[in-house]
Amino acid sequence: MKQQQPPILLRKLLKRIIAHEIYDEVEGDLAELYQERLHEMSVARAKWRYFIDVLCSLRNFNLKRKLKFYNPLVMYKNYFKITFRNLLKYKGYSFINIFGLALGMASCLLILLFVNNELSFDGFHEKKANIYRLDEVQSFGAVSEQKVALSMYPMGPNLLADYPEITDFTRYWTLGRTLVQYKDQSHYTENLVRVDTSFLKMFDFQMIEGNRYSVFDEPNNLILSETLAKRIFGDENPIGQVIKTGEGDENQIKITGVFADVPDNSHLQFDALTSTKLWDSEDRRNGWGSNYLNTYLQLANNTDVEKLEAKFDDFLVKYMGEEVLEFYSLFLQPLSDVHLGSMDITHDYNNHKKFARSSVNIFLILAFFVLLIASINFMNLSTARAATRSREVGVRKSIGAYKGQITGQFMMESIMLSFIALIIAFLLSFAAIGPLNGIIDRNLELSFFFQPLHLVLVLAIAIFIGFLSGVYPALVMSGFNTVMALKGSGMKAGKSFFRNALVVFQYAIAIAIIIGTVLATQQLNYMQNLDLGFKKDLVVTVNMYNDTNSKYELFKTELRNQSNITDVTATTQRLGNNLHQTSMQYRADTALINGSSSFVVVDNNFMDFFEMEILEGRALSDQYANDKAGLSFVVNETLAKELGAGDREVLGMPFHFGGNDPLGTIVGVVKDFSYNKLNLKVEPLFMSQQPWGWSEVDVKLRADKLQEGLAEIEAVWSTLYPQRPFEYQFLDDHIDKMYQSEQQLTKVISILSVLAIIIASLGLFGLASFTVKQRLKEMGIRKVLGASVSQIVMILSKKFTALVLIAFIISAPITYYMMDQWLASYANSIGIGIGIFLIVGLGSWLIALLTVSLQSYRVASSNPVETLRIE
Amino acid sequence: MRGTHLGEFEELVLLAVAALNDNAYAVVVKSEIEEKADRKVNISAIHTALYRLEEKGFLESSVGGATKTRGGKSKRFFKVTAYGFKSLREAQSLRQSFWSVIPQLSTQK
Repeated sequence: MKQQQPPILLRKLLKRIIAHEIYDEVEGDLAELYQERLHEMSVARAKWRYFIDVLCSLRNFNLKRKLKFYNPLVMYKNYFKITFRNLLKYKGYSFINIFGLALGMASCLLILLFVNNELSFDGFHEKKANIYRLDEVQSFGAVSEQKVALSMYPMGPNLLADYPEITDFTRYWTLGRTLVQYKDQSHYTENLVRVDTSFLKMFDFQMIEGNRYSVFDEPNNLILSETLAKRIFGDENPIGQVIKTGEGDENQIKITGVFADVPDNSHLQFDALTSTKLWDSEDRRNGWGSNYLNTYLQLANNTDVEKLEAKFDDFLVKYMGEEVLEFYSLFLQPLSDVHLGSMDITHDYNNHKKFARSSVNIFLILAFFVLLIASINFMNLSTARAATRSREVGVRKSIGAYKGQITGQFMMESIMLSFIALIIAFLLSFAAIGPLNGIIDRNLELSFFFQPLHLVLVLAIAIFIGFLSGVYPALVMSGFNTVMALKGSGMKAGKSFFRNALVVFQYAIAIAIIIGTVLATQQLNYMQNLDLGFKKDLVVTVNMYNDTNSKYELFKTELRNQSNITDVTATTQRLGNNLHQTSMQYRADTALINGSSSFVVVDNNFMDFFEMEILEGRALSDQYANDKAGLSFVVNETLAKELGAGDREVLGMPFHFGGNDPLGTIVGVVKDFSYNKLNLKVEPLFMSQQPWGWSEVDVKLRADKLQEGLAEIEAVWSTLYPQRPFEYQFLDDHIDKMYQSEQQLTKVISILSVLAIIIASLGLFGLASFTVKQRLKEMGIRKVLGASVSQIVMILSKKFTALVLIAFIISAPITYYMMDQWLASYANSIGIGIGIFLIVGLGSWLIALLTVSLQSYRVASSNPVETLRIE
Repeated sequence: MRGTHLGEFEELVLLAVAALNDNAYAVVVKSEIEEKADRKVNISAIHTALYRLEEKGFLESSVGGATKTRGGKSKRFFKVTAYGFKSLREAQSLRQSFWSVIPQLSTQK
């Protein structure tokens, strides 16, 4: 008799009701009852009773058998064990896998550290959200509009008085290096700054001694940094001591406080502060029109900054008259913007380690991509390795592992590896942070990552990376068909499309980064070696002061008598800085015209000294009485073009500083030279000698006699100016410094791009070796059938060549577009040649080929007997 | 002991399992109870009780003995644990202690 089964529909219903683990037993029980009832009653009634049983079983919906010996720890222990056994079994791959990821993580950690440091600038001031720097936009005639970090002495107090939104102001007016005397000892303060008494109320620089609200009560009060106080006073208590900044009573300065050294992440750097009171003369208070200091404003909460800025035009008109708007407008720069957002602002002298926000963003993007490349590697290698573990998956599945458990196992494994990578990354960062600090001129500390919150964040990111890069391989492996997996052929070759796409993606990024780096470096080198229009080599600059200027002529003559010094000149502004602007007057035809231009006051041999090219007329020279009297002017090409508009003769044109009658004449036109950063264009400029005192003396030394020359300057300096230590700077160092931000950027990017290609190649290497291993037998057969070593290498390398080619085709146009945009921001830029693309493309192909060939050659040259024997 | 309290029906099931010795699985337990206590019980109630008792530690179980009538599905055999026996005895002595206090009632009847 055929066994009568309970109704199939009801059984299916029961399956839905009863928990998976106990379904078998329960269904068996119900079936047994059903069979018994078949003997006692009709089929229909038995079915009915079965139906009732199923319905009543609803009460057991939540019933689960609690396994008495269910202990997941045992299984986890097994996962760990298998993970480590696998790591050790394939040491090479494990190394590539983990080390690649660690490299990516380490670079990411360091970049994050750097970015955090950049973003932390000026972050320690409690009122930072309400503090703004007052900047100007200047537009003087032919000089292009410039944003400058300068403001006028009377602006602060009058703004405070006129606008209730402004609750406080402080000026920041550097006195620079200043010689102070204590007892018989002379010391330099590196940067003595005059500020208003409100300075310490607005900015939270930490006081060690003295009350921040009363340290500037007297005009001659001064506070020092801790380091400077130690240097001057040693172990004495500095409070109440008197130091001298010169002879006379007004130069008797009383120390009223000591502040903690200014942290490196402050855009304001100073080691001594005094109040503006000593300089607060009637003239200054009405000194509208000259810009020489910074003003910081504190606004009331919730002030609409744009509305306030709109009122500034009226402010300027009120104090300086209607026509001022042609030359000036004011704007406010949030404190948080000063460090990272001042790249387009010139005359920005008090902006410590100023940096471009765009560079910070470039760093972040690069770090992300390097990490991405590393993660892709990780993913690719894990997936490739899946093949070797298909048997394990098969066994696990056949003894009852669910798909979820297998997925979980491999996810856990990848998270674990990512943790190991993180630990190695920390070790790498630890080793790399010293050199890195040297390159980027920062004091980064890894301890930042060991604050609980940051540590948790970093760990979370590591887990996330492990998770993301583990999810694909885990899903692939858990999806193996059990039987196929046990046979050892879980992976189908056709499934590698995803992996290939990832390799293409990796290489595309790496190629883009490298091309970008090479172009950026080229641009920078180009700018630094561009003909500036003057000779900056072998020139030593020595700062001059009020007390040294009186003996300038003697100093100059003495220096010229030295054997290793070829020439000496002097100037009021250093080449390489943006030059100041002033007003000018000239007579064209018969009209008297006012205008403005950049200017620099120079000694008469300046043009000869710097070997500037004279286009028309002559250079200034001591031979002419007018030149000595300050009545001769030399203009640059750009200004000559402006003055000579309408075919006017520039040479001989009456010309002078604004405010005077044009008593002087133009005697020469000099070829444009780049006194500013080369990404800015040359502005109109005139030069003349005036008896105003020099701010620096330039000395040219004999080549290969630099040390001797320096010693000679020092000897002369010390005899003439015994009160001041001798200090100097090479002009080319100064000019190189202008490109520091760019240099740091390119250096770090170069390192990152090298890392990117290394990591990408590591991944390719691992992947190639696996592919090669999988095709061992095929290659053996090919060899037996007569293929040569080179043919086999070709077959194996062909695919990877194609991948790199595709990557190149994808990344080249994108890179071209982006770099084109970047180069457009420079006034003097290099062109983007095809050559660089070809070289980088070819280079990355060669690297890929080399990587793959290393593997394929090993197979190709092996004995086919060996490879075919494996079963 | 709270939480390990034996309900009336649970005690009955536990006793039945004990009585059935090594052959206690849901269907047999059901018929045993129906026979001894002369009451109709649904199989699902037996299931509930058995798995709960196991969870509480009064019973332990093992799988085995698939038969054709069960559609090839295995049975789960239950066995009373030492702890289960202890609880049964405690329940019995608890009742006994009450009976010893009220002997006259039992004689009057």
